[in-house]
Amino acid sequence: MIRNDKSGAYTPLFCLVIVLFSLAGCSEYRRTGVSESGVVYCSEGDPSTFNPQLDASGTTVDATSHQLYDRLLEINPKSNDLVPALATSWLVRDDGKTYVFQLRRDVQFHTTAYFTPQRSLNADDVIFSIDRWRLVGHPYHQVNGGEYPYFASLGLAQLIKEVRRINGYRIEIELNRPDSSFLANMATNFAVVQSAEYAEHLLAAGTPELIDTQPVGTGPYKFESFRKGSYIRYRRHEQYWGGDVAIDPLIYSITPRSSMRIAKLITGECDAIAYPAHSELQILEQRQNIVLDEKPGLNVGFWAFNTIKPPFDDARVRRALALAIDKDTLINAVYFGSAERAKGLLPPTSWAYQSSQRDISYNPVLARQLLDEAGIPKGFSMDVWAMPVERAYNPNARRMAELIQGYLQAIDINVNIVSFEWSTFRRKLQEGTHDSVLIGWSADSGDPDNFYRPLLSCSAIFSGTNRANWCNEEFDKLIDQALQYTDFEQRKLFYHMANNIISDDMPLVPIAHAFRYQAYQSQLQNFELNPYGGVSFVGVSKK
Amino acid sequence: MMTSYLLRRINLLLVTLFILTIASYALAYLFPGEALQNLSGQLNPNDTTYAALSEKYAMDAHPIFGFFTYLGHLLHGDWGTSINSGKPVLDEILSHLPATLELSTYALFMSLLIGIPVGFWAGIRFHRSVDYAVMTGSVVGFSIPVFWLALILIMLFSLNLGLLPMSGRISLLFDIPERSGFIVLDILLSDVPNKREALYNAFLHMILPTLSITIVTSAVVMRITRRSVADVIQSDYIKAAIARGLSRTQALWRHGVRNALLPIMPQIVMQFTVLLTNAMIVELIFSWPGIGNWLLQAIYQRDYPAISGGMLAVSAVVIFFTLTMDVLVRALNPLKRRDVHGTI
Amino acid sequence: MAQSNFYQEGHYPSPFQQTWKEFRKSHIALFGLWIFICFVLILLFAPLIAPYSASGQDTEALLLPPAWDPSGTVVYLFGTDSLGRDMLSRVIYGSRTTLGISLLMVVMAMLIGFSIGAFAGMSKGLRASILNHLLDSIMSLPTLLIAIIIVAIVGTGLTNCMWAITLALIPQFIHLTRDLVRTEWHKEYVTAARLDGASKTRILFDSILPNMTERLVVAGTMALSTAILDISALGFLNLGAQAPVAELGTLLSEGLELAYIAPWTIAIPGAAILLMLMSVNLVGDGIRSALRYRLQQ
Repeated sequence: MIRNDKSGAYTPLFCLVIVLFSLAGCSEYRRTGVSESGVVYCSEGDPSTFNPQLDASGTTVDATSHQLYDRLLEINPKSNDLVPALATSWLVRDDGKTYVFQLRRDVQFHTTAYFTPQRSLNADDVIFSIDRWRLVGHPYHQVNGGEYPYFASLGLAQLIKEVRRINGYRIEIELNRPDSSFLANMATNFAVVQSAEYAEHLLAAGTPELIDTQPVGTGPYKFESFRKGSYIRYRRHEQYWGGDVAIDPLIYSITPRSSMRIAKLITGECDAIAYPAHSELQILEQRQNIVLDEKPGLNVGFWAFNTIKPPFDDARVRRALALAIDKDTLINAVYFGSAERAKGLLPPTSWAYQSSQRDISYNPVLARQLLDEAGIPKGFSMDVWAMPVERAYNPNARRMAELIQGYLQAIDINVNIVSFEWSTFRRKLQEGTHDSVLIGWSADSGDPDNFYRPLLSCSAIFSGTNRANWCNEEFDKLIDQALQYTDFEQRKLFYHMANNIISDDMPLVPIAHAFRYQAYQSQLQNFELNPYGGVSFVGVSKK
Repeated sequence: MMTSYLLRRINLLLVTLFILTIASYALAYLFPGEALQNLSGQLNPNDTTYAALSEKYAMDAHPIFGFFTYLGHLLHGDWGTSINSGKPVLDEILSHLPATLELSTYALFMSLLIGIPVGFWAGIRFHRSVDYAVMTGSVVGFSIPVFWLALILIMLFSLNLGLLPMSGRISLLFDIPERSGFIVLDILLSDVPNKREALYNAFLHMILPTLSITIVTSAVVMRITRRSVADVIQSDYIKAAIARGLSRTQALWRHGVRNALLPIMPQIVMQFTVLLTNAMIVELIFSWPGIGNWLLQAIYQRDYPAISGGMLAVSAVVIFFTLTMDVLVRALNPLKRRDVHGTI
Repeated sequence: MAQSNFYQEGHYPSPFQQTWKEFRKSHIALFGLWIFICFVLILLFAPLIAPYSASGQDTEALLLPPAWDPSGTVVYLFGTDSLGRDMLSRVIYGSRTTLGISLLMVVMAMLIGFSIGAFAGMSKGLRASILNHLLDSIMSLPTLLIAIIIVAIVGTGLTNCMWAITLALIPQFIHLTRDLVRTEWHKEYVTAARLDGASKTRILFDSILPNMTERLVVAGTMALSTAILDISALGFLNLGAQAPVAELGTLLSEGLELAYIAPWTIAIPGAAILLMLMSVNLVGDGIRSALRYRLQQ
């Protein structure tokens, strides 16, 4: 049997394996006897909580927001219009500051192993959910950290004056000033509604912290179990108000490496995957049984300078560094061409996009000249912080940092690439010790304010989304003024003026607006890519 | 004789475990950050919790007293809390360890099943073409880095041929409640309607990880066996047996097998620890929910209570295993009974 | 050996010559030695051999397949990675890092292990007994496991890994030296030297050491193979050398990201590790069986 070559020694083993395969008839191995309606979604990381109010990260939102919860309103991904969800109708009073919401009746909360609801959704639940993040004195405000990053970055707690219960199914929200982005914010992935009854129950049991780890919501799936680093298991919510849910169970298989996710999609271990790597899209396109959806993303990847740390407080230095890199090459090497070159913060799909915005072009000679003017010596060293995870706006910050390292070498600047584990990274970033960082932003609503305010306003420095630590009063004033108007054309003018300030001062170099991708097996039906982030399995079914 | 030997071994086991716990306690101080946090796993405790924890771990007392308090907690099954998952470290270990043991057992079994007969064959045909072929194969097998081999197998069997799954122990769509932690046993114990399919699915998941480890380990087992058999064949008593008129096969079968296999048992047992390390790496590649994967994640996340607990558990398992095997080998091999002091 | 000799007395080859003669007989061991010499040449002259620098990026040529692929070019023999770096040069520099560091670690471990082992071998009593027990426990743990634990404590990085693996390699040298010194110590030639009044150190270096060099070398090759495997495993696990450094294990883990579209970024560094380990193992095997043969005579 064994004659000549090295593999000979393993002949018995291979024989065994081959026998086994023939037993299997080489059929598709994974679908044998498993419930046909089950779906495995391979996500990129663990959610840090099961309540998206507490964490603005895309990973948490993708895993929880559209599975467990509903919002008052939804944004229609196709038309960008607001559509009814838990609120069947709403109106704005004449003062432009008061909103009235009529709630849907007979919306059932999840019945789970740990809680059986006694009543359906009413005004108390909505008020509880808003007051929790809005009022510092609320009994649940401090539970599980007491940080509500999304609402804090937009100053929503300060915007809302009062939330009133009119009757069991009608509430009224009064603002301190008119804000044309308010309704859109109430439709974002973060404005979820939790159960007030469950909250009372937990408070009485003395375990309020369970509200976000053993969640109860009204969404299409209910929580069953979660094993960190491994999986989340959701079951179908039988009494979902939006109609029958076709998928059961829904499993999130946590697979941090993008190459692993793609491989698992190919082998059929995943039905759908999060963030397919841009480098491997071609392979997916060639596959018959895999659907690859592409949509222009509402995001921006950028290189932000820490503008309170010398010498990056000098606009000339920032401009020089911006001139020293070739964005087109970065886009090719990091996004593999599946992104649009960014001129400013807003992607071209936004209604406030300014096609005439000034862009900066690659010019290392001018860059060195500017650095000389600013008195930066040759051989100066700086840090570039690169995110350790892939995000829609930057699939591989590390690679981008290595390329930037190469470019800056050419103008005699040494670059140290700094990276930490993701939660440590964000914490250290908040401490503001970085020189510059490669990061980005994915919008949560279609409103342009959702880019300008969290990324560059003064108040966002404290809420931790303004990575440039850049504070410009003129800029803040412009974006505040824009919100006073409901007319798009008028708001545009303010945003264009704000764009000019950014172009002049260069607190960050916008690099790319990446396309968003979603890849899944063709058996999955109606699996839509949501431009505002968040993965939704509402209405999805399996052939 | 045997009793005194056993006592000695048990003594050694206890001393070693004791040293390991000292190491694990010392780690809490050696790791970056605050010792109390590294011991308990409580992140940013408030003042009352802090005082309670400080009291619990006797932080203000002399470190030696602190160590014995810690040892007490360990013995009571309180290994601290994992920072990463917020669950007790011991629970995590107990839920991950069976997966590793399961994988290692299959791999060890396969390696012996393949390695010993092939090595035996090569030993009999010492310095002939079969021997050379097997030796060449085993040098290659033994030189392949296991992580590379695992990747190659994935690329071949999972991605290109699409025959085998590449992650986990079973499709997540099967909802198998965890009882023993050994997947096959759990399936049998569970009351899922489709047991046969679940078993088959689990079996398919096992093939590639087991194969990766088996190839490397069986190559080593092969080498060890071949060497020993070759020595036995050239020995005088086999020659004498043949001279007395036994056929070659008879001589080998009656006198060779036992004499060739017994002396190499300790060496083969030693392979188990190497195999376990390989299993830890392979687990990471195949997302196998075992202790190695868990420990490496703990290292990436800088989850110190988990690292020290994991270290303690893994080394305890390895040492316990080697010592048990050592005792067993001695019981089986009279030649070994003479030297009382352990040598490995 | 030259047989024509004018003198009466025959030529007695030294033990080393005998071993070498025996070693040469095995073609496969010799083959291993040649590969190993190639790796050593790479280690010494990497900058001269490599066509490009390890970190030089050619942004015009990203993810180019190797030359034998229809869409590859001869300019990049082994293709390029996702940053347009030449794979051949990266593998050459990677082999240099991996082998160089492994050799360094083995030499350090050998020196330290030898000193402790010699001391232990010459001393008796409680100290030796404690050392014995400790060694037995530590030696039952695989080096990689010890290294992983040490890295977990001191933090990731190439230097930390070097310390970790060196520490993990030391016990086996202590063990070997101790055993050898102890057996040799009671042999007649040592007794003779002792009767002559030689000091312990003198006996160790002049009498015992020459008798154990070959076995140390065998142990060294085994340790080298372990060290190479461990350092690349740690690199692969992202615990060792970090990204811009070209190290074979790290190259492999970088390639993982692109495994499917650029299989060569995995295949080539892995094959280099395999080749390196194989050459070391073949040489080790060769020396061992040559030594065994000589001792049997």
